[in-house]
Amino acid sequence: MVDLEKLKNVAKDTVSREDVKYLIGWRQGTYGFRVSPLFMTEPEDADKLIFSPLCVNNLATYLTLAEKLPVPRGAEPDTRKVALMVKGCDSRAVVQQLIEKGIERESVLVIGCPCQGVLDLEKVEEKFPGIHSPVDVQWGDDKFIINLPDGPQEVPREELLAKKCLNCRYPNPVMSDVMLWEEVEAWGNGEYADVKELEEKDSQARWSFWQDKFESCIRCYACRNACPMCYCEDCVLDRLNPQWIYRSNNISENTVFHLARAFHLVGRCIECGECERVCPMGLPLMTLNRKLVKEVRDKYDFEPGLDPESKPFQSSYRPDDQEDFIL
Amino acid sequence: MDSKKLTKDKFGGFIDLLSKQKLYVPQMAGETLRFAPVDSKDEVNLVFSNTAVPPKSVLFPQTETLYEYEAGGTEMIIPEGPEEKVLLGVRPCDARALTIVDKLFSWDIDDPYYLKKREATTIIGLACQEPGINCFCTSVGGGPASTEGLDLLLTDLGEGYLLQPLTEKGEKLCQDAGELLVDAAGEDNQAADKVHQEAAEKIVRNINVDGIPQKLEDLWESPLWKKVSDACLGCGACTFLCPTCHCFDIQDEMEGFEGRRCRVWDSCMFKEYTLHTSGHNPRPTRRERTRNRVNHKYSYFVKNFGTIACVGCGRCINNCPVNIDILDILSQVVKEAL
Repeated sequence: MVDLEKLKNVAKDTVSREDVKYLIGWRQGTYGFRVSPLFMTEPEDADKLIFSPLCVNNLATYLTLAEKLPVPRGAEPDTRKVALMVKGCDSRAVVQQLIEKGIERESVLVIGCPCQGVLDLEKVEEKFPGIHSPVDVQWGDDKFIINLPDGPQEVPREELLAKKCLNCRYPNPVMSDVMLWEEVEAWGNGEYADVKELEEKDSQARWSFWQDKFESCIRCYACRNACPMCYCEDCVLDRLNPQWIYRSNNISENTVFHLARAFHLVGRCIECGECERVCPMGLPLMTLNRKLVKEVRDKYDFEPGLDPESKPFQSSYRPDDQEDFIL
Repeated sequence: MDSKKLTKDKFGGFIDLLSKQKLYVPQMAGETLRFAPVDSKDEVNLVFSNTAVPPKSVLFPQTETLYEYEAGGTEMIIPEGPEEKVLLGVRPCDARALTIVDKLFSWDIDDPYYLKKREATTIIGLACQEPGINCFCTSVGGGPASTEGLDLLLTDLGEGYLLQPLTEKGEKLCQDAGELLVDAAGEDNQAADKVHQEAAEKIVRNINVDGIPQKLEDLWESPLWKKVSDACLGCGACTFLCPTCHCFDIQDEMEGFEGRRCRVWDSCMFKEYTLHTSGHNPRPTRRERTRNRVNHKYSYFVKNFGTIACVGCGRCINNCPVNIDILDILSQVVKEAL
């Protein structure tokens, strides 16, 4: 069970360490059911930390998103660690970054938070609309306890669980330096119902499904920026010379954008669902990513982000890899 | 001209009249609402939640061809002038936003692309009855029935709409509607006032903007900016969906031998925004970029044009994936400056 006292004490001790730059955790947001990442440097900020079904953000993206300004002449680069609070899915992003050598093991201190599944923000805001004051939510047995301003409400877990959590197989961090409380039992079976449903349609129907979605994309790049695996310093989308993808917003360029991103995530996507969560246009981006996750699992029996010592998908050739689908 | 009334049984006839020009109404595009041209009358349904993408996207499209050319050629093919348009169901906040964007595009040099479209467009507002959770229009000079930027304001009275013509364009529309409309009675006007007042009372969030432009200037180097931008992902959701954000980039794009020079929305939250050829960027991190976003709206624009470039529609707050909340930033600015 969540032990908030322990979490705060560990956080205080962690940021007091000389070799730690800051700790990234979650805090209650400015209204309703929102939360915000907290960058903590002072022990007294520990009281702001929370861990609840609202903590949906995958904070691992900040490991690679941090801006590195040039070190002034004569100064030493800051090599202190970043302490990071992770749920099961988030930890897979850290592992995958380590596998790819996107980050170094010594640069990060992982604080594991076994998780019983987070809330779908859209669903909860629809069920309880117009709530201005920040709401505290807790896990109960097979339910969420939502402490609304006019009293607590209990809602069955399945009703409000985030889509990514419905079928979660990794609720416990797969790596950590500190594990905050006992692990929970995984409940997912790894079925890909949404992908299968789309696979059963003919190509024309599949294209019209995606065409409608890609047309409405505004190319704000929230999906790319929130993605812990999208960390190229020089992203193919930003390239000006050569310019692989035009800035014009149209079905052609938007499709190239989304397909390029999906293909760059093959064997790397750890299914944290952040791209889909942050999309202001509500594009079902995880359906695209999960299709490729499923292909990689079915064809190569490979899953990313589980063992820091393993090899990346593209360089993990095995002589017994299937090849009957290669033309 | 006095107010008119349109009973709902005549609504179809009114839409027919508007459809003589190209009519835009809020419609589902993918999973969200935005202004799009109407193909059939059945699509016209004035809903009460605001569009995800503001109507600026019609007058200042995300991608706009300035001219076309052929490889090796010297001729510029300039697109034809805009057609007459009607936007129906614009929220008063979004219409006010257009008056703000107008100032920029008619500043030192008139922007013909925007201004011609603006001139050819009639904007019919719908008074807001269900403000969103993060609406704060009343704090920045607007209101659920604000008329700035509108040609005609509609208020839903249940059995019909009250029409307030506000400009010559609006009056002409009412004249053209002829017998579809009746003169509004005193009680209709009172009913509309009541609707407007009730909507204003539903707005919860607020900020006292007095002195904020100066405070922002004083806090230029404050550690506040690091704190409020720590969590920023650097995406463009806040700026692209802002009804007043108007930054653009100009691009030359070739397809085969055919090229176009176009302008596309740009965002001060992007890494490549104001990136110099030398590699230097005066806004190197999200700290400076977040500071720019807030200052542009609440300080620079006030200095240059005498108005805050924020209409309180709440979209940047609603859509931020990490809960960066402009009202929270502003209240910290007020506190910090004390």
